[in-house]
Amino acid sequence: MTFGLADMGGYLPLLRLDRRAAARELAWTGLPMPRSGWRAVASWDEDPLTLAVEAARGLCGGDVPISLRFASTSAYFTDRAQSAMALDALALPRSVRTSDFANTRRAGVSALGDALLGQRDEIIMAAEKRPTQPGSAAQLAFGDGAAAVRTGPDGVARLVGHASLSHDLIDRYTSRDHRFSYAYEERFVREVSVAQMYIPAVRAACESAGITPMQLSHVACAEPVSGTWRAAAKALGCTASNTCETLTELAGDLGAAHPLFGLGLALAAAQPGDFVLVAGFGSGIDTLVFEMLAPAPGCAAMVAALAEGQVLSSYSRFLNLAESIALDWGMRAEFEQKAQATVLERIGRDMIGFIGGRDSLGTVQFPKSAMPVNPALAQPEMLDDVRLADLEATIVSVTADRLNFTPDPPFDFGLVQFAAAGPGGGARVLMEMVDRPPQGFAVGQPVRMRLRIKSQNVRLGFRTYFWKAAPLARPLLETA
Amino acid sequence: MMATGIRDKVAIIGMGCTRFGERWDVGADGLMVEAYIEALADAGIERARIEAVWVGNALDDINVGNSALPAAHALRLERVPVTRVENMCATGTEALRGAAYAVASGAIDVALAIGVEKLKDTGYGGLPLRTKGVQNDLWMPYGSAPGTFAQLAGAYAARHGIAPADLKRAMAHVSWKSHQNGALSPKAHLRNAVDMDKILAAPLIADPLGLFDCCGVSDGAAAAIVTTPEIARALGKVNPVTIKAIQLSASNGWEMQFGAWDGASVPNTRAAAARAYAEAGIADPCGQIDLTEVHDCFSITELVIMEDLSLSDEGRAPTDILDGRYDRDGAIPCQLDGGLKCFGHPVGASGLRMAYEVYNQLQGRAGERQRAKADLGLTHNLGGSPFNSVAAVAILGRLN
Repeated sequence: MTFGLADMGGYLPLLRLDRRAAARELAWTGLPMPRSGWRAVASWDEDPLTLAVEAARGLCGGDVPISLRFASTSAYFTDRAQSAMALDALALPRSVRTSDFANTRRAGVSALGDALLGQRDEIIMAAEKRPTQPGSAAQLAFGDGAAAVRTGPDGVARLVGHASLSHDLIDRYTSRDHRFSYAYEERFVREVSVAQMYIPAVRAACESAGITPMQLSHVACAEPVSGTWRAAAKALGCTASNTCETLTELAGDLGAAHPLFGLGLALAAAQPGDFVLVAGFGSGIDTLVFEMLAPAPGCAAMVAALAEGQVLSSYSRFLNLAESIALDWGMRAEFEQKAQATVLERIGRDMIGFIGGRDSLGTVQFPKSAMPVNPALAQPEMLDDVRLADLEATIVSVTADRLNFTPDPPFDFGLVQFAAAGPGGGARVLMEMVDRPPQGFAVGQPVRMRLRIKSQNVRLGFRTYFWKAAPLARPLLETA
Repeated sequence: MMATGIRDKVAIIGMGCTRFGERWDVGADGLMVEAYIEALADAGIERARIEAVWVGNALDDINVGNSALPAAHALRLERVPVTRVENMCATGTEALRGAAYAVASGAIDVALAIGVEKLKDTGYGGLPLRTKGVQNDLWMPYGSAPGTFAQLAGAYAARHGIAPADLKRAMAHVSWKSHQNGALSPKAHLRNAVDMDKILAAPLIADPLGLFDCCGVSDGAAAAIVTTPEIARALGKVNPVTIKAIQLSASNGWEMQFGAWDGASVPNTRAAAARAYAEAGIADPCGQIDLTEVHDCFSITELVIMEDLSLSDEGRAPTDILDGRYDRDGAIPCQLDGGLKCFGHPVGASGLRMAYEVYNQLQGRAGERQRAKADLGLTHNLGGSPFNSVAAVAILGRLN
């Protein structure tokens, strides 16, 4: 029993913008921007909360964690804890402590360091969907995604060293009055951050681990600008490649989630006994050195997730998904989706947690009701909670609705049938479908559940969340 | 004592129906007046004879307004009881049911049922989406009407093993036939014949429904004046049109929540039809019913309805449709006036519009569309979606 990092999870949205296609579209501007690789693009109904929950779903087994932490610089709500919503979405008990970390890209690594140093069983989630301005390098360099870590007594990686430096170096910033990231000159940022943060912090972390930087086998080092780690590694005498660089190329810079996702990739490649460094950057640096003890199943899944996806070649569709253009969707889009706090208080936990009910004859239904839907029962009764979010279902009926407004047509929806998980029948639910395969959805197709935004009220700045049905598996990212 | 049903207890002595369509020229009140005045004239009574009114209007916040007042104002009703009813697209038949039951109970002698919808001022071709943050808004998809009914197609094809292309062709024939009939309906919204190739090649609205598989929505109103057969006779209606049956059936969540339904039929239509046939004393619907006006909101809906009403055997509707069984000159013509597809669909009025066509056919007043033998006609009105519906079936005939 070694306390440490127990498992990891990662989530990337389905779509990968082909940066070449986007750069071609903007070639006439002459603006500098990344021109290779892919950028992970969240759907209109994904945000840092949904991304984080997807990353953390596999980490909730076993003992109930002490805390659930959420880290992001782009969280939708600023006075409503994403972590508390994630708690309900993950169906964790309300006794679990929740807190949100924000305002720096290293928030995820900072939270992980705190959990490890405090030897607390925690789930730390980090996620980003950062708004960006068309034409900016950040728009193509950033990516949307999430990573999560579980700490606990059954560690697969042991914290052996750490070091932190606080330093208000402004490589880029966002503020209440400037929601898009404003970046300063790259060479200035690289030179100062390498000399004053990366080199001293990595040296100190290695020293506290009793190793030299040369002994680091794998590195997950978030970088403010490309080439930062290479410059630091040269000075440190470290030859390990940086998984965060690979991640940037294949999915984009995931902000607060970036070093944690990179750590998952590094641990997946490491062997027991290897030393692995993770570094979170932003207003300073947090570095953690791990000794890898055993493979973590979640890390292999993160490698797989990086290789899966659907190529997005339409720059205008990307702009729409990124809310960078406001298309005129016509009158059908002119409706207001209100939410009521009273209703959310009454049934919100069942909704975001996708909790149905099992009647006394074993049939599961959603939503729960005083009178069961089962025709064999004629009296009101209490239904037992059944979480549907983690169950597979089969499509009973479906259509691609082209009339109904959705920000990313068509609107796929239909009835799905959950498999029976007991003596009675499984639940049947009318659901939206997401992550549309090129050939569309079909009757009989198996589906899995994904947390998404259900409704949003732009005028009132409010969202509700529910689950939507998605194909079981994703295609491998085309590399042609 | 067993209930005896409504068969022949209520006569329809007058009906009216506006021209359906994009009625830029008139508001909801004007539409009601048009239908009402025609019905009064047809009945040959003074308005003072009307003792109670049932007004059907499905989308109150669009243009009509809820409660009794819009109808009471529009028709300047003289302090009679007015009841507004709403049951989605089955609203029109619901209004007729309320008026008929009042007469059948003996509580009143003469009642008016009127349905109205004024949608086209809102400027678009479907029904509006409204959410208020209640429970269902937290989970239920906001699908469009074509989106919900389109799902019948895939489920029907799966149940009966029919190739999607063959099903699509039968669906196209449904719309082709309704356009043929609509062209002969002076009050219809769409009066153009359309060829099969154009129907099949139309852009998709909700897979596999193309543009011509879908009815639009319209402005319009329709009205019926009902009384007892005795009073009808006293008014000179020698052999009046009578109501043989009116039945409704409403979903209780079984289709949406209980996993026993395959999505290929509408159980409420079957339940309402079975009760209506029993109420009307119909043992052989195919042999006894001469014409139908059904809720063809979408072509696949009409196709499935033919089986739900037991007019086609299970799995036979596509073949029967392509064989012309429900065409104007077929064995049991359907939508002789063009149906929702072409006559139009002002939601709250549609059930009464269906009754209007049957009423005229039964009396030999349907002009070019007149069916040679028209003794018994059926209307079918369906609200909601296949998985969460209200179905209404009414059967009209003559007293003798």
